Amino acid sequence: MSLDGVPVLSLITFLPLLGAVLIGFLPERAARPVALGTALVTWLVSLAMIAVFEVGKPGFQMAEVADWIPTFGIQYHLGIDGLSLTLVALTTTLSWISILASFRPIKTRIKGYMISFLILEVGMVGVFIALDTFLFYIFWEIVLVPMYLIIGIWGGSNRIYATIKFVLYTLVGSLLMLVAILATAFTFQGTTGSWVGAFDFEVLRHYAATSGFPDALQLLAFAAFFLAFAIKVPMFPFHTWLPDAHVEAPTAGSVILAGVLLKLGGYGLLRFAIPLFPAAALTYAPLIICLSLIGIIYGAVVALVQPDLKKLVAYSSVSHMAFVTLGVFVFNQQGLQGGILQMINHGLITGALFLLVGVIYERTHDRTIAKMGGLAGITPTYVAIFGFFVFASAGLPGLSGFVGEFLVLLGAFAFNPATAAVAALVMVLGAAYLLWMFQRVATGEVSDFLKSLRGHLTDISGLEIVTLLPLGILVVVFGLLPGILLEVIKEPINDVLSDVARASEIPLDPMLVAGALGILAFVIVVRVVTLPGLRRPAAATGEIAA
Amino acid sequence: MDALNPYMDTLIPLIAVLPIAGFLFTAAFGRRLGHNAHLVPVAAVGAAWLIAMAVVYTSFTGGFGEGGHLVKLWEWIPAGNFNVEAAFFVDNLTACLLIVVCTIGLLVHIYSIGYMGHDTGYWRFFAYLNLFMFSMLLLILASNWLVIFVAWELVGLSSYLLIGFWYKKRSAALASKKAFLVNRVGDIGFALGIMAIWVNTGTLDIRESIEILVTHTATLQIPIAVVALLLFAGAMGKSAQFPLHVWLPDAMEGPTPVSALIHAATMVNAGVYLVARANPIFASAPQAMAVVAAIGIFTALFAASIALTQTDIKRVLAYSTLSQLGYMFAALGVGAWTAAIFHLMTHGFFKGLLFLGSGSVIHAVHEEQDMRKMGALAKKIPHTYRTMLIGTIAIAGIPPLAGFFSKDEILGESFKNGFTWVWAIGVVVAVMTAFYMFRLIGLTFWGTSRVDHHTEPKIHESPRVMTIPLWLLAIPSLLLGIVLSWPGPPLGPLFGLEGPGLLASWLHPVFKEGLEIMGREEEAFQIFGIDGALILVSVAVAFAGMLAAWRLFGVGIGPIKGTPRPETVKRLSARVPFLYRASLNKWWFDELNDLVIIRLGGRVANALWWFDRNIVDGIVNGVGSLTGRAGRGLAGIQTGRVQNYALGITIGLIVMIASYVMIVGNGG
Repeated sequence: MSLDGVPVLSLITFLPLLGAVLIGFLPERAARPVALGTALVTWLVSLAMIAVFEVGKPGFQMAEVADWIPTFGIQYHLGIDGLSLTLVALTTTLSWISILASFRPIKTRIKGYMISFLILEVGMVGVFIALDTFLFYIFWEIVLVPMYLIIGIWGGSNRIYATIKFVLYTLVGSLLMLVAILATAFTFQGTTGSWVGAFDFEVLRHYAATSGFPDALQLLAFAAFFLAFAIKVPMFPFHTWLPDAHVEAPTAGSVILAGVLLKLGGYGLLRFAIPLFPAAALTYAPLIICLSLIGIIYGAVVALVQPDLKKLVAYSSVSHMAFVTLGVFVFNQQGLQGGILQMINHGLITGALFLLVGVIYERTHDRTIAKMGGLAGITPTYVAIFGFFVFASAGLPGLSGFVGEFLVLLGAFAFNPATAAVAALVMVLGAAYLLWMFQRVATGEVSDFLKSLRGHLTDISGLEIVTLLPLGILVVVFGLLPGILLEVIKEPINDVLSDVARASEIPLDPMLVAGALGILAFVIVVRVVTLPGLRRPAAATGEIAA
Repeated sequence: MDALNPYMDTLIPLIAVLPIAGFLFTAAFGRRLGHNAHLVPVAAVGAAWLIAMAVVYTSFTGGFGEGGHLVKLWEWIPAGNFNVEAAFFVDNLTACLLIVVCTIGLLVHIYSIGYMGHDTGYWRFFAYLNLFMFSMLLLILASNWLVIFVAWELVGLSSYLLIGFWYKKRSAALASKKAFLVNRVGDIGFALGIMAIWVNTGTLDIRESIEILVTHTATLQIPIAVVALLLFAGAMGKSAQFPLHVWLPDAMEGPTPVSALIHAATMVNAGVYLVARANPIFASAPQAMAVVAAIGIFTALFAASIALTQTDIKRVLAYSTLSQLGYMFAALGVGAWTAAIFHLMTHGFFKGLLFLGSGSVIHAVHEEQDMRKMGALAKKIPHTYRTMLIGTIAIAGIPPLAGFFSKDEILGESFKNGFTWVWAIGVVVAVMTAFYMFRLIGLTFWGTSRVDHHTEPKIHESPRVMTIPLWLLAIPSLLLGIVLSWPGPPLGPLFGLEGPGLLASWLHPVFKEGLEIMGREEEAFQIFGIDGALILVSVAVAFAGMLAAWRLFGVGIGPIKGTPRPETVKRLSARVPFLYRASLNKWWFDELNDLVIIRLGGRVANALWWFDRNIVDGIVNGVGSLTGRAGRGLAGIQTGRVQNYALGITIGLIVMIASYVMIVGNGG
């Protein structure tokens, strides 16, 4: 198959926009089929993209370059490597699944919802294929708006609080990132005397690899990029927006949030932050590994006591995504492979778990674990599928979650055995919160609450199975044949490794470190002192019930 | 049989493929098959048994050569310099395990047709059983550490599914979760051990990596003793060694065929298999060997002490299993590897028999498991009684039944290898074993009936589909000891024969390297010297335990008659009140776990959550408010009024944009 001359990447990016415009002109009842159709066509094009992608070829493929703002050398520059490829495919797959999964739950303002969703897809795909830092930033911000609307309009009772928090957090990070992008471009222009390529990733990467950016810029710009991406991942301690956003988001919103949006952070680190500022990445690596370890354990422990199904899965995401950053920042082949696999697997498995929570919510309008019980006797098919993904999430070998997790642990072990030993605790903790949740929801006698809505509590429907089936198949295929993915991401990993190998750590000024720690300590003290004044809305809290 | 040799590359994978095919078929169509759901799973395991026996025969007759036979399937994880091959490997050690797993597996499948006949989850049960068979066979056939680990987790999954089979019972759901989690604790060690092996050797192929580990012991990045202990941690979890033993007694919540197959005869042996498979690693680390021996023999004693007073028939057997597994690890620790595998095999058969027998008893008295509500069942369920009596004599170590030979070999080797303390404790455990097993038989089958008078008239022997497997298991319980030790000691020398026993010669190639590393030399067997004396001690203590039990709990084998003396039992236990209560309460381990994990752990988790909601969330929110609202916290923002949010955003944005401009100015 040849797609020479066809702008495949632009097609994948802007087909959803076309669909969104179309929906705008069509009556409300056409919104669902048109949205689904658009997403499916986009998905098919992305499959074509996979078919023509040449695995093992170094550099970026299917590149599209056009001048945009020539004065500053800003271009419309798209291109993919193995890393982009897998994440774009994940995005297009989860997009049509999410749209299909929204058919029943979303009953109001369907047009607006579907338009938001399609625009969201534009942004997400764009982020993964943009090779111009400014363009990347634009797509990055595009993602924010529809997600804001999806949670804010079609979300739960406390949605305003959650949206504001989501937007504020992300905005803080992304604006810092914009500063870093600009600062990098200014520096580039300052030393080369030309704006040409000041925003072009390939040029900048080449510059970083040959001349290297000055230490001060590296430290600051990496920190800014890192903060933006760490909030998105989300890494401890920037994760608290996630449980709130998940709880309030409609099911499909949660699926996309967990499945794709969190991956933006991991992708950004691998694509921009590390290759452009490798010396700073090495310098900060111990700190980031530390935060990752905290996140892994902390997320899992806090997940244990969550009373709400969605919150539990949200905290499990914190734990799982910390595996990504751990794997990336130990900077060896296994760690990076594991980190990227973990991104894909988390997208598939956690996406599926949110869909499954949505299935319960759709029928009971409740997600409180304590009210559930004995579902296995009422909805056996549902419980079987639920169990499958619960074990996939717990890293059962043979399913995809295991390979990524194990490779990260292996990379961490090669880096430092103690690191791996701490991270490996999640094998128990992860299984603990998942199985405890599963036990309380699925086994035992049917709870009084569920008894009271017997009639409404039907087993999983065919439509819902259709949304879960592709994810289940991929979880099995990637579990048994992870080589498929590993082959595709080989080149990007080698690139990152060689970027890092060329750099050496930047010696940090002890005064600077002391100053930063001092500020941190001050903030913590102020926070703790002012704590009694902090009262959040009642719906956001709630005590744990056994 | 040699005609099959060219097809071994197909046949060996089939042993594992057949059960998984049976599982997939039954999972998909089982529900519609209703009461015929067992046909495909039983046929799959039957076929796997046939093939396995052909493979076993080929292996034992030297068809695979000394090094065993490797079947490569596909590159599972090709990750640069980390490659994991999905491949199978058969040598004589695998063959020994194949006999146990396939034979008992098949018999349990057949037994379950009767035992589970009235259960609504009939098809589900057989699907899970097939899944278990696949996982277990994968475990013993794997040629790669990571594939073993995969199977290790999969047997954990099938065990989880089968313990929690009656999911409506809360206790079953809790027990299944506990089993999985406690196993996972050990698995952390196992996983780290695998990583350490890879970091040390750059390969995860079992034989290759062992070769590198033992030849480069001095220059390893991770010391070999650490590798050995990490692997042992995994073994402790799966084989339920102290302190990871807590899951096994609870696992009795599962249907009894499951207890027999998984929690007595096969899965719990996985740890023993693992250590035996890694014998050169352990041989290179004498400290680790001592740890294995100590934990093994301690578990043997500890579990036996609990088995003395339990009243639930299955729990007695569960603690007995722990205790016997402890023996096996003690054997591994003192370097008596052949003896460990010997005991694994004999124990698999007689403990499988005892569990299936207990299932038949429970069936007969209408799902009653409390032995205080049994008694005098011998006449009413004669097949169950006779087969269980054979199993009991076998486990008690009374010659010439199977358990005597394997247990005696463990004790004898411990003594001769200089581990007199292991031997001494082992002898004490042998007394206790004979005692609690005859107590079980006495309470269940002899004496007077304490069965509920509603149930009494309805007591009936189980159908033939259940009793035939019992008799088929009784045969190896009777004979396996003689067969596997012939023509070697202890019986061979009496007839003037020389040389090692059958099993010893089979396993010689597997354990050769380990024995060489330890510098162990073969000693002549002295039937009229030290060995004879040790055998006499073993026999004497077995009889002592048995006679004590007869005296207290009665006996009724043909002409040997005795009545139970419950008053004496009460008087004796009152004399050691602490020990009695400790035994009855299982040394309070469940309470301790409850306190530490559920209560303390729950507190910690809740505290962390509070920390998350208030401190972490607060600080990050607070950073913004510090600039925007001079440190008044987010209290204002959370008034729920949109204007406030908008104001917050605006102020925040302005502050931020201003600071960026400043930074950009400096950065450029």
